Amino acid sequence: MSNPIAIKVDDLTVAYNYKPVLWDIDLEIPEGVLMAIVGPNGAGKSTLIKSILGILKPIAGSVSIYGKPYKKQRDLVAYVPQKGSVDWDFPTTALDVVTMGTYGALGWIKRPGQKEKKAALEALEKVGMLPFKGRQISQLSGGQQQRIFLARALVQNASIYFMDEPFQGVDATTEIAIINILKELRKAGKTVVVVHHDLQTVPEYFDWVTFLNVKKIATGAVKDIFNDDNLTKTYGINFKVSVNK
Amino acid sequence: MNNAQVEIQLIASLVAIACAIPGTFLVLRKMAMISDAISHSILPGIVIGFFITQDLNSPILILLAALTGIITVVLVEYIQKTGLVKEDTAIGLVFPILFSIGVIMIAKNANDVHLDIDAVLLGELAFTPFDRLIWFGTDVGPKSLWLIGGILVLTLVLLFAFFKELKVSTFDEGLSASLGFSPILIHYGLMSVSSVTTVGAFEAVGAILVVALMIAPAASAYLLTTNLKKMLLLAVGFGVFSAISGYWLAHTLDASIAGSITTMLGLVFLLVYLFAPSKGVIAVLYREKQQRTEVSLLTFLLHLKNHDELEERHVNHLREHINWQKVRAKSVLDLALKNNMIVINKNIVSLTEKGNTFTTKAIDYIITNKDAQIEDMKDDFFLFRG
Ligand SMILES: Nc1ncnc2c1ncn2[C@@H]1O[C@H](COP(=O)(O)OP(=O)(O)O)[C@@H](O)[C@H]1O
Ligand SMILES: [Mg+2]
Repeated sequence: MSNPIAIKVDDLTVAYNYKPVLWDIDLEIPEGVLMAIVGPNGAGKSTLIKSILGILKPIAGSVSIYGKPYKKQRDLVAYVPQKGSVDWDFPTTALDVVTMGTYGALGWIKRPGQKEKKAALEALEKVGMLPFKGRQISQLSGGQQQRIFLARALVQNASIYFMDEPFQGVDATTEIAIINILKELRKAGKTVVVVHHDLQTVPEYFDWVTFLNVKKIATGAVKDIFNDDNLTKTYGINFKVSVNK
Repeated sequence: MNNAQVEIQLIASLVAIACAIPGTFLVLRKMAMISDAISHSILPGIVIGFFITQDLNSPILILLAALTGIITVVLVEYIQKTGLVKEDTAIGLVFPILFSIGVIMIAKNANDVHLDIDAVLLGELAFTPFDRLIWFGTDVGPKSLWLIGGILVLTLVLLFAFFKELKVSTFDEGLSASLGFSPILIHYGLMSVSSVTTVGAFEAVGAILVVALMIAPAASAYLLTTNLKKMLLLAVGFGVFSAISGYWLAHTLDASIAGSITTMLGLVFLLVYLFAPSKGVIAVLYREKQQRTEVSLLTFLLHLKNHDELEERHVNHLREHINWQKVRAKSVLDLALKNNMIVINKNIVSLTEKGNTFTTKAIDYIITNKDAQIEDMKDDFFLFRG
């Protein structure tokens, strides 16, 4: 691929309580791909994303976004955490959560105004959630909550999107709606990195894939490396996925 | 009311407001226990501060004691990080030790320190008007009033400046970090404000009431609203209400002011807990009962839909067949009738057009869980909420 490298990870090792959960990861993600990160539970997929975003401090290695550290490139990156990582009983509305996507551009102290609200409403519209803007977030279904999170990332108007299991607990309609938006982002030249669980849909949804299980098993184009061999190496058991090519 | 009475109520109210603000965020962050830890473990800080300054209202004492609060938080997090014990265990380990160090220091120096354990636990609100601040020869009011007023102003300034940062880091730590609002910085900022407020309020209201004033109003407010700003306002309102009504309760009963305020806080929480419109115990029980009836209704409608035979749709047969008790069967029949889902003709029940559509939609929903289509049904049926 001749595209520039959007994200580069060098010799990354990350540990919790001195127990490494990511070992010596090297990874280059080219600009403009829609990439799945696959691997079993506890493989370190969330940890990898959090380390790229500077949320976790690695014990070794480095990460760069278009050649510069993440700290300098925050404006270019949007992040959708795992749905279960937040408390959906928090007293706030759908619109308010989406507006949080504008906070980064505002910086410290400055409050969101009309411009930010308008951007948030547009993002809500894009994910089909405008009618629910005033609803308390615990009153939304799992799929609707996931759409809200997507809208919050869209409002950031970034070049690179990281999404941790955006299809978790969503119905089929929402899954299609979300993947269509992600494909649109790719069409617009954005880079999208998605932690994904459903191996069956990888070839259909993504063009790039990274296999991860504590170590990086493989990374590259889906058509080249999404095969039983890599799946077996990643999941440890003999894998036979019927990949319809 | 005399001057001292007004001053006591004013101090109690300001303490309540200053506590309710950090308290709201502690409750939302599920950190109520940490305020308990801080309120106890600042004791050695206060005693040492008192040795140095000989003045309970000295800013140096406040800072020293607040520092003990922060140290507690750091210690708890350190112990927790080793992964050997859970957070509540870590809290339970740290604060009794620091608190007892404070108690021993007071006991050993009883002659020099005008502090006693009763005052530590319950404060001396009644005496606060007697310690006056004299400025250039004029009496400008009780020292406590100035102290807690200053802390409150500081808290308000920080709240207004960092409201957005507090909100995002409380709701979604990961997003907050990725946007560059360090959750650790905000966490320690909140812990510092909580510690300073606790120390400032401690002399007036004691260790127990500080915790109650931080947690109870926020916990009550949480049950009543789905809006963070309203939650803050409600928490402040409950705090002030309990402070003033508690004062008069104490006045009437000739009892401890701090104890009476705590009683009022408990009472307010109890009432809200029982009667809150959507999250209260009674509302929840009622909703569960409704849901049970609605599931029955759906079973009943489905039965009608599946059977054309007249004998299957006879009122009496339904009772036997679906195996419901009389009352249950009647309430389900009534509900279906009221919603125009069925018609009863000579004791034979039939689905109406509306009932038919509803049943199809509802079954469809339960099977596919596609939520978008049943939006308009949500208002009528609890079953599809949440
Ligand atoms: N905060 C944490 N403290 C300690 N261990 C953690 C923490 N978060 C994750 N882990 C451990 O790190 C490993 C990788 O976790 P994670 O990145 O969440 O995996 P994945 O997202 O692939 O399921 C798991 O073994 C998990 O138990
Ligand atoms: Mg994960």
